Amino acid sequence: MFHKIMIANRGEIAVRIIRACREMGIKSAVVCSDADRDGLPVMLADEAVCVGPAPVAESYLNIERILSAAVAIGADAIHPGFGFLSENVKFAALCKECGIAFIGPDAGVIAKMGDKERARNTMRKAGIPIIPGSDRKFNDPDEAFKEARKIGFPVMIKAAMGGGGKGTRVCGREEDFTGDFLIAREESVKSFADDSMYLEKYISSPRHIEFQILADKNGDVIHLGERDCSIQRNRQKILEESPASGLDPAIRRKMGETAIRAAKAARYENAGTIEFLLDRDHNFYFMEMNTRIQVEHPVTEMVTGIDLVKEQIRIAAGEKLRFRQKDITLRGHAIECRINAENPREKFRPSPGRITNLHIPGGNGIRCDTFIYNNYEIKPFYDSMLLKLISRGENRAEAIAKTRSALGELIIEGPDTNIDFAYELIGHEAFGKGKINTAFIERYFPEYL
Amino acid sequence: MLKYSFRKTYLRAEVTGLADSSPKPEVPDGMWIKCGKCGAIVYSGDVRQNLYVCPKCGGYFRIHAYRRIHMLADRGSFREWNRVMPVINPIAFPGYEEKLSEAKERTGLDEAIVTGQISLQGNACAIAVCDARFMMSSMGHNFGEKLTLAIEKAAEDKMPLVVFACSGGARMQEGLVSLTQMTKTSAALRKLREAGQVFISVLTDPTMGGVTASFAMLGDVILAEPRALIGFAGPRVIAQTIGERLPKEFQRAEFLSEHGFVDAVVERKDLKEILSFLIRTHKSNPVYPEKPYIPELPKKARSADRPAWDTVLLSRKSDRPGAMDYINRLFPDFMELRGDRHYADDEAIVGGIALFHGIPVTVIGERKGGNLKERKRRNFGMPMPEGYRKAVRLLRQAEAFKRPVICFVDTPGAYCGVEAEERGQGAAIAECLRAFSGAEVPALSILIGEGGSGGALALATADEVWVMENAIYSILSPEGFASILYKDAGRCKEAAGLMRITASDLLSLGVAERIIPEPDPADAKNVGEIAEYMDGRILDFLCRKKECSPAELIEGRYQRFRRF
Repeated sequence: MFHKIMIANRGEIAVRIIRACREMGIKSAVVCSDADRDGLPVMLADEAVCVGPAPVAESYLNIERILSAAVAIGADAIHPGFGFLSENVKFAALCKECGIAFIGPDAGVIAKMGDKERARNTMRKAGIPIIPGSDRKFNDPDEAFKEARKIGFPVMIKAAMGGGGKGTRVCGREEDFTGDFLIAREESVKSFADDSMYLEKYISSPRHIEFQILADKNGDVIHLGERDCSIQRNRQKILEESPASGLDPAIRRKMGETAIRAAKAARYENAGTIEFLLDRDHNFYFMEMNTRIQVEHPVTEMVTGIDLVKEQIRIAAGEKLRFRQKDITLRGHAIECRINAENPREKFRPSPGRITNLHIPGGNGIRCDTFIYNNYEIKPFYDSMLLKLISRGENRAEAIAKTRSALGELIIEGPDTNIDFAYELIGHEAFGKGKINTAFIERYFPEYL
Repeated sequence: MLKYSFRKTYLRAEVTGLADSSPKPEVPDGMWIKCGKCGAIVYSGDVRQNLYVCPKCGGYFRIHAYRRIHMLADRGSFREWNRVMPVINPIAFPGYEEKLSEAKERTGLDEAIVTGQISLQGNACAIAVCDARFMMSSMGHNFGEKLTLAIEKAAEDKMPLVVFACSGGARMQEGLVSLTQMTKTSAALRKLREAGQVFISVLTDPTMGGVTASFAMLGDVILAEPRALIGFAGPRVIAQTIGERLPKEFQRAEFLSEHGFVDAVVERKDLKEILSFLIRTHKSNPVYPEKPYIPELPKKARSADRPAWDTVLLSRKSDRPGAMDYINRLFPDFMELRGDRHYADDEAIVGGIALFHGIPVTVIGERKGGNLKERKRRNFGMPMPEGYRKAVRLLRQAEAFKRPVICFVDTPGAYCGVEAEERGQGAAIAECLRAFSGAEVPALSILIGEGGSGGALALATADEVWVMENAIYSILSPEGFASILYKDAGRCKEAAGLMRITASDLLSLGVAERIIPEPDPADAKNVGEIAEYMDGRILDFLCRKKECSPAELIEGRYQRFRRF
């Protein structure tokens, strides 16, 4: 087992990983930028190393400094969290070269799954259903257009190196294609420094259902059930739940088996997520694979009782999976709300500032993952997520009731937050009935788009 | 304050000794390197992948000789020559042999230059690469000998030669023997020329001293890497000698290009393509395509039916297509070759090399420029002496490799100014006349706009001269003619009418052989059509002249101008 893990991240996930280390008796070290010296991760970890000024390119994305820090303090493993360098092929490869365990899959696997085109090809070869789309990348709009006509409109134009919904555009009409392609390509260049795009058939109002995977170094793979992440605004997730409401058990079983086959086809190791789209006719298609721990992992932890971050650490340290598929049961229902420092009424403009009054709810089945504390100053350099509120009830109705109550109890004064918006969302009749798909916000809360 | 309130949860690992047993992580040597130009720490894998260019500042790292060769060679094609040379110490310099063995051990090289042959994108060529790690790539006997042997072998096996030069200069420890290598290598190049093979010299950072003063600056084509330091005397020595500060960017590749001493500054990522192109365009005995069918040419231009002055205005119109408009369409792979090798690169004259239907040709044009900024840069198409000297240089290269020359004439006249006189404008034009009239390759000139007197004649001394319908060719401008004859420049319209400067006039005077029709006056919209017309005509010209011997061409040209 590792004796010291360096956490190359910040905010709520850094706290999450540090807590796992504390519980396992492993020394924790965290990197921080100048701006995060007063952050909770720095205080909670056993060691902290400042790796640069506030801008992410010079700190959290600076491979040279982070590796130097890890070597200097003698860390034998690095946990990259999510975002930042968690899916950076070069970083994973360099950790290995320096004799530091990268808590995640192998660099080659990250490369393959990170390139959306290659990922689709891998799945197609393994007989896993994928969304009808192009089998090659394009950076030329005219060539892409020919392919788009073959696939059939409406079509989705996506960045090959993309993630987080950036560099994606839906094109409904042939006349708009060139314009849409160029806009999406420009966003891809800005966000991912790459101009290759691929095309997918646009599936109208699907459900976004993803399966959590754990795989060990021996090639054993299990899934820990699904999460429904359909509630999205501009392809950014707002709310997630497990299990997916109203999902036919036969389809769930099929999807789970497919997820395991997908992970094996990718030769996956450690924790990962297979994302599917489920259409109105109950057909499901592989969309992409996320080769990292995800923001919404707590809902799976709440319904399975398994600590995913600890399992990540154990797998990376060479231990076999401690569970077989038949040991996994989902009990009850969990919902997670992401609470961000933003103003929903002003196009969700980020709202940094000092937290002047903080009250965090608690109680049976209420979990809050956060890094904020009273009087903490939210920094403008990073994303706006402050806190994840996760509730677990015996069933969905109870989970909803708990979430409502906890949101009612949650107080964050100082910056603007989306607490009220989350409250409205969770209380909406359609949500209560489980009528969810990715068009939910568009349909019921169009004023917030 | 939260900070000190949290309690630790592990037993101090130092006490239990568990921590000490696990292997410590460490950064492998050489994983990170410091860029010599910007000082940033960069990942060596990124540098390697980026062709040894710093990913942060774009600064060029020096490349090890074998690496440079492998970057260019088709896989598995490298055969090294004279890998090991006998150790010699010609002036019995103390400590020299020890220094040599130390350098050999440290670098794995036997000498500062590696020679051999490779296949570069399918083209066989001889290659020689200097390596600055070995005694600063100084040239001594073995260096000179290896290079000379390579030149001689390339000549014998009829292969082009590419040399990557870098050097601190001559190897002092070998005294005069080092100095004489300069002549030895320079002289050997004649054999390569006699074998009809091209010598491409690529100057890398730094190229100084005896190497610059010998083979490195004798390339048929001289390329340089961006910002490479290239010169004869070292910058510090110069600064000390003259006691003044040196100009910015002194002796950098770009400085040399401005001053006319390199054909092109080429980025490392483009080098392979460009070397391949140059090798291909210097190959002999190209295959000529079938002679195209061309329609009859008009004997009269429509410009004959209107006042000459109108045509003068058309020929000067700012939106009239210029040399580059035709060059870009007729010769899409045109590569510009710069400089006169004496003083500067004149931007009013553009010259270079291209493959025209598979036939290597030299192309020269007078260039006025598009927008105002460009026009100022190109001096409004009025060449300086260095422009004409560049044309002569390119012609000599064309002759050496038996390439036809095609000129596009469009100038108000040679530049008239103090510096032009200081640098011998008259002499430069005269040299053009002599060189072109005695050219051993077919020469074609096309008047596309203004043919301003001597400045135009310098590039219109050809086997055939063609004139576009709305172009003019005159002894001097109508304004000038009017001020001399009528003492009134305002009577230029009259003068133009009398001077007989339009296309039909030129045809009937025998100054031009053909008229290139312009259905409407040439502009951005119909330039493509006109270029297509020229394309077939030029190919026809080349096919007709293909069988002529140099003597026949020269005599034919002599007679053409003799009858005036």
